Amino acid sequence: MMNATYRRRDVLKLGTAAGVGMAVNMLGSGASVEEKKVIRIGFVGTGGRGQDLIGVLLKLPGVQIPALCDINEDHLGKAQDMVVKAGHPKPEGYSRSETDFLRLCDRKDLDLVINATPWQWHTPIAVAAMKAGKDTATEVPAAVTIDQCWELVETAEKTGKRCVLLENDCYDRETLLIMNLIQKGVLGEPLYAEAGYLHDIRAVKFNTVSNGEPWRLEHSIKRNGNIYPTHPMGPVAWWFDINRGDKMNHLVSMSTKSRSMKEFAIKAFGPNDYRAKTDYALGDVNTTLIYTEKGRQIVLHHDTNTPRVKEHLLRIQCTKGAFNCHMNKIFVEGRSNRDDSPEWRARHEWESTDEYRKQYDSKLWRSMEKQSGIGSHGGIDYMEMYRLIKCLQEGKEPDIDVYDAAAWSAISQLSETSVANRSAPMEFPDFTRGRWKNRPRLDIDSIV
Amino acid sequence: MTNRYNRRNFLKRSVPGLALGSLGAQREARPIRVGFVGVGDRGSYHLDTLLGMDSVEVPAICDVDPNYLYRAKRWIEQAGKPTPTLYEGPEDYIRLCERKDLDLVVTATPWHIHAPVCLAAMKNGKHAATEVPAALTVEECWELVETSEKTGKHCMMLEQVNYMPVMLQILEMAQRGVFGEILLASGGYVHDLRLVKFDPEREPWRLQHSVDRNGNLYPTHPMGPMAWWMNINRGDRFDYLVSMSTKAVCLNEYAAHYFGSRHPYAGMKMNQGDGNTTLLRTVDGKMAVLYFDTNTPHPQTADLRLQGTRGHFSANIGMVYIEGRSPQEHQWEPLENYSKEFAPPLYQTIDRSKFKTARGHGGGADTAVMWARFLKALMSGTQPDMTVYDAVTWSVISPLTERSVASKSRPVDFPDFTKGKWKTTPPVKLV
Repeated sequence: MMNATYRRRDVLKLGTAAGVGMAVNMLGSGASVEEKKVIRIGFVGTGGRGQDLIGVLLKLPGVQIPALCDINEDHLGKAQDMVVKAGHPKPEGYSRSETDFLRLCDRKDLDLVINATPWQWHTPIAVAAMKAGKDTATEVPAAVTIDQCWELVETAEKTGKRCVLLENDCYDRETLLIMNLIQKGVLGEPLYAEAGYLHDIRAVKFNTVSNGEPWRLEHSIKRNGNIYPTHPMGPVAWWFDINRGDKMNHLVSMSTKSRSMKEFAIKAFGPNDYRAKTDYALGDVNTTLIYTEKGRQIVLHHDTNTPRVKEHLLRIQCTKGAFNCHMNKIFVEGRSNRDDSPEWRARHEWESTDEYRKQYDSKLWRSMEKQSGIGSHGGIDYMEMYRLIKCLQEGKEPDIDVYDAAAWSAISQLSETSVANRSAPMEFPDFTRGRWKNRPRLDIDSIV
Repeated sequence: MTNRYNRRNFLKRSVPGLALGSLGAQREARPIRVGFVGVGDRGSYHLDTLLGMDSVEVPAICDVDPNYLYRAKRWIEQAGKPTPTLYEGPEDYIRLCERKDLDLVVTATPWHIHAPVCLAAMKNGKHAATEVPAALTVEECWELVETSEKTGKHCMMLEQVNYMPVMLQILEMAQRGVFGEILLASGGYVHDLRLVKFDPEREPWRLQHSVDRNGNLYPTHPMGPMAWWMNINRGDRFDYLVSMSTKAVCLNEYAAHYFGSRHPYAGMKMNQGDGNTTLLRTVDGKMAVLYFDTNTPHPQTADLRLQGTRGHFSANIGMVYIEGRSPQEHQWEPLENYSKEFAPPLYQTIDRSKFKTARGHGGGADTAVMWARFLKALMSGTQPDMTVYDAVTWSVISPLTERSVASKSRPVDFPDFTKGKWKTTPPVKLV
């Protein structure tokens, strides 16, 4: 931890020179330095994903969870038990109605409101939290529409509160290794990247499994585009310095016809069931091409409908080399091929990332190796929560701020509009209002 | 299509007994007489392949490079065929096409000469076979179609990737419904060609395309098999595409590295973006995704994939997943598990292992199988597997992507070269 005697307000006043331009963060103002190390969290949405994250938070020093909210009392009770078992006082529960999170946000003893709720609630809860003077962090996506994206940005700017997107895939060890290799110039400049969310979750949507999320079905009935873009987008945005020197300019998007949802419903419920007779707008596979200010390209795939193997498709091509996450292999020109003659250069072979990790592994993972086994998703949830709490404790800007949350989430509606208009190009709003040019490159190893 | 082949009736009688692995079995059949335009790298593959077939003669060859020309002449003589007439001027392919003793003209020349040679051949009553791509502009594509329709001559594009065993097996599986309803096919040409582009001795014409153009300049290798899997021109057709390129960096950087930063190549303005991606939509709601990158340092070609409502396939790993059939839910299994049940029916009449080129220089067994199929169609007067409509549909992707890239990735409509015949044309059948 950095200097514990930091006066948060002073640090942040200086910190705005970085060009963030947000109002000074007033979190915990007037409290003593020692108190500031404790982050008091209200958690909204304590289902499967919420419990994952609460489990990780309870392992972190300096975290208290005085309030929990879920309309499902089973989920609420389970989460309360988790907190009590970890040796904390029983959090107060909020479950009166779908909008009971408003009462939670109004509490005076919270610094941060985290939500892991169905998508349509992310923005309302985040906005309510910021308006009530709390920082907020939301599960992905932060917003469903462009209007919601602007609402988040403008609320964050007006209130001076942070709005963090909880995109855990950014904290993958290989993602951070590649970010380091790019930032140190080993791979050259990024040119294009391809990534996808490719996962047959029809059973989750139709709620035929125990971890079902029936609210998700409505999105497949009404929307057609890339409706879940941030998992593949997050790592690519970090590699490309999106909002920090580069920005997304426009996209075009195309979907296949929609067949697989209906086929699943016919098989699962019979041809006469209403779900078998429902029309599903969501094309089975969607591909979106994004063009950036610096002339780079991002290819995003979305497929949650077809019977398929779950794949972690993530690769990048740079001017001096390439990385393929699926194979976990890297190629660096002049290094992987060892010989610099043109004939040798024409012969390319992948190599393992092991050698590169010795020199370029992220400081975060190196120092947290032991803890990486804690929590879900192979340690990335731990890294994500650790960084969130650390940044708040140190008074730093979060790794994924409201501008990232808005830009990455905006892909959904832009792709929907493009799909509906014969793949016509759609312009990205500049949520940073020009500040993307001067915002400093992300340095997640600055405080570990 | 009417076929003015005057040997048609004779050959129709002889074909049923013809073992395709040995086209010369019917000694009484007059050989197919082939004129060659371009006998360099690719042309020599095709020449070597055809010289391995008894039923073929090569009375005329044309190349502007005397080294290639005389090498080809020597090969033809060494294969025991009559000595060919040599044509060596840049316009000499026209005189070659005007000869009376040719059935077919093959062109394996720089890209911009493909369509002119095919047009000259058909207008002079010869069938045409061309290396890929068949044409560079929309206008050339229409001219090929209209000339083929008017003359009754075939114009076939030599896309040998379609005849690779894996591609044929996937075609068989797709046609028998294993993947369910087809939704998506994707593939690419991702191949670091910087060495070739900057080697004027090898392909002096290739670099200029990167200087002048920006799009997917080489779509047919992945598109060939994908189009067959998707029934393009055979029940479905491409409706429109959108295309996006990155900026152009790598060619200049490469030139600066090897030739020095003051070399003209290091500062030459390159139009072609280093990476291009194209999305194509069919009227039936299928999608194709094409990748193109010949500029960046990259070890591996793009994957070739097919996805349907019941499962999917990935060529790079040689794996499939079929819902309800693969042993584990949502887990790959080797494509091999399907090799026996879905062996390409073509192999019942063609023994792939028996194909030998004259010198072992040729494009391999798949190129030979492609030629055997084409020659069989010529001799029997039937449609070739790859029609003129396929040649232009797969080739026209380039100029359409160039238009889309130049207009901020706006959608660009596909011409319907079949003028509606795609609706009634049955899926390709290779038996």
